[in-house]
Amino acid sequence: MAEATRALPLGTGHRTRHARVAPLFLAPALIVLALLLAYPVLYSIWLSLTDASLSAGQLDTPFSGLDNYRQLIGDKSVSAALLNTLYFTVVEVIGVVVLGLLTALLLNHPMASWSGFRVFLLLPWAIAPVANAVLWKWIYHSNYGILNSLLLQLGLIDQNVTWLGDPFRALNMVLLVDIWKSTPFIAILFLAALQNIPKTLYRAARVDGASTFEAFRFITLPSLNTAIAIAVILQTIWSLRVFDLIFVLTKGGPADGTVVMNFLAYRVTFNFLKFGYGAALANVIFLASLLLSIIYVRLMNPGAPRGR
Amino acid sequence: MNRLPFLDRRSLIKTAASGAAAALVLPSLSRPSWADETALSVFSPLPPDPAPPGAAKFSEEAFAAWQKANSAKVTYDMVAWPQLHDKMATAFASGEHVWDVVYMSGWVPELAKFLVPFAKNLPKELIDDLPKSSFSTVTWDGQSSGVVFTLSLLTLFYNTELLQKAGFTAPPKTWDELKNVAKECTRDGNYGWVLNYGDPAGIGGTASYWMCFLQQAGGKLYNEDGSPAFNSDAGILALQMMMDLMPYSDPGSISYVGINDATNVMTAGKAAMMMNWPFMWKPANDPASSKIVGKLAGALLPAGPAGSASIDGTDAWTITKTSKNPELATKLIEFYLDKDVQKRQAIDTGWLPIRLSVLSDPDVQKALPNAAVVLEQANHPYDSYVTPDYNEVTVALGTEINKALAGKSSAKDAIAEAANLVAAIVKKRG
Repeated sequence: MAEATRALPLGTGHRTRHARVAPLFLAPALIVLALLLAYPVLYSIWLSLTDASLSAGQLDTPFSGLDNYRQLIGDKSVSAALLNTLYFTVVEVIGVVVLGLLTALLLNHPMASWSGFRVFLLLPWAIAPVANAVLWKWIYHSNYGILNSLLLQLGLIDQNVTWLGDPFRALNMVLLVDIWKSTPFIAILFLAALQNIPKTLYRAARVDGASTFEAFRFITLPSLNTAIAIAVILQTIWSLRVFDLIFVLTKGGPADGTVVMNFLAYRVTFNFLKFGYGAALANVIFLASLLLSIIYVRLMNPGAPRGR
Repeated sequence: MNRLPFLDRRSLIKTAASGAAAALVLPSLSRPSWADETALSVFSPLPPDPAPPGAAKFSEEAFAAWQKANSAKVTYDMVAWPQLHDKMATAFASGEHVWDVVYMSGWVPELAKFLVPFAKNLPKELIDDLPKSSFSTVTWDGQSSGVVFTLSLLTLFYNTELLQKAGFTAPPKTWDELKNVAKECTRDGNYGWVLNYGDPAGIGGTASYWMCFLQQAGGKLYNEDGSPAFNSDAGILALQMMMDLMPYSDPGSISYVGINDATNVMTAGKAAMMMNWPFMWKPANDPASSKIVGKLAGALLPAGPAGSASIDGTDAWTITKTSKNPELATKLIEFYLDKDVQKRQAIDTGWLPIRLSVLSDPDVQKALPNAAVVLEQANHPYDSYVTPDYNEVTVALGTEINKALAGKSSAKDAIAEAANLVAAIVKKRG
């Protein structure tokens, strides 16, 4: 007890010294973060409060308050892009998580232990985004695309289909490419989680007479809770960021059918040169991503004590 | 302990100081020849789009000689055409652009405040040899800030073999003939018409194609006061004509986002007709990339109720206000417009000259039979209606046109909605 009483001031002293020195050690990293992250974010917020335009040979930034954010509410192109974004995100997250889980379950099977499967699986994820988009542009080509050729040979269609010719169909085709590209990473994430589930649980379940589905329902799924939550958050953030595919495949067309919020922010900023309004759009996407990131960080540290 | 005399600290400092002094002095005594050269930076599209000598393969010796004669070192910053506008706008917005000479395509009104109105300083002999109308798209608020360097109007290109197979010996001259020829040529897996309607924006986007039909129908985009004038019979008729062509068009047209997508279908021999820029002649007659070598011919765009009409590609050179050597930059542009350089540009790259004397040159006419067609097309209206908000206007217009072409709205509704959107944009223009 006496030792414990003596140790308390010693520990407090250590902590005090640490508290004094810690900011010095953290300073370089904080400065870099401030320059690389805080400045652009704050500048973007400032820009969104102005009617920034290219005039008199420079970027003019007259203050306009919340006008840009008010304009967002009544802008038809924003509401259409928002709907497209919501649809794109929801379908993509569901598609990627379900496909990722199925792929991971297959790869977790003893028959799929060959490492080559994992390498092949990662290929779509490893292809550079623009190269991926160009690849699919040719696959979808209405005259020369392999997709039409394949479906014609299988007798599933009787004439070439213009995959990117109808607004809603085009959105779904872009979605399909992004699901194809995103699934491998999520599958690997699930595979890692699957391999952490103790085999003894399955053996015990089998002894108790559980079926394969019951083992999946009561052992696998509960064990993957955190991995699924992380996958949903990450994939939602990535879906909000989709741009390169749309830029290469459709340029937002036909008839704005594939314009999502990110593409709209780009178009408004760099095509229309409305820097203030573009910044407001970008900040809305940023806010959504930030909220999701906070949830993601909390999920990654589920055991971290509160109040530190 | 004895030390070597040249290894003491004082000697080392002396040696280092002498070395540093020598390093500073020597280069000035033996400066390389390039040190006296004036650097010029040019922002240009990548070939096969219209690029200057040294960037594209023509007049390379003359370009080297010009640099030597003017003690200039020209460097090119080139990007693919679709990225030009956005990279330029970003650079101007950041204030970090370093270019002296910049390529423009309909963006002069939008970026006029960054450009030197130098066109009035060009030699009279040169100005007199250029079509007067070529200055309309590079002039804003009475200031001409650019000079067009290629006569780039949309004209009709057609596959003579496919037309003959369908029983036609001559290209269509009117809208009705165009529809009929397109219909008859749509057979055996081939299409009567192909174009790129996927990207609504800018020159070469969906809206700009409709502008050809609009002028052919006798309409115009704006009234004298700047308000939209196209919500009219002519505007609707123009869009209806495009819609009428759709059953005989390559269905992919609605999804093609660039002119090259459509050109590839034409050069593969899958489409009978398209409207295109003069550059098409060269790749279509290159056996390495084309299946229609010797089968391509050009004609005026078919006439609507008001006759034939086109739009101008407005490929121009401009000088930035931040250029430290605007005089030398002007000289460089004059070199780009030199008669011999213009001739080589046409014969070697397929991009026609803008100088009238070179356009009528027999060598150019022989190498590029479509030159005469383009020259004739220039006798008809070819307004591209460029404004500072051209991208925004064409996206609004093109998106509504796209909806009609995709069968999602009628011509009348699409034009009415487009007129509302453009009116709102014009109102903000002030």
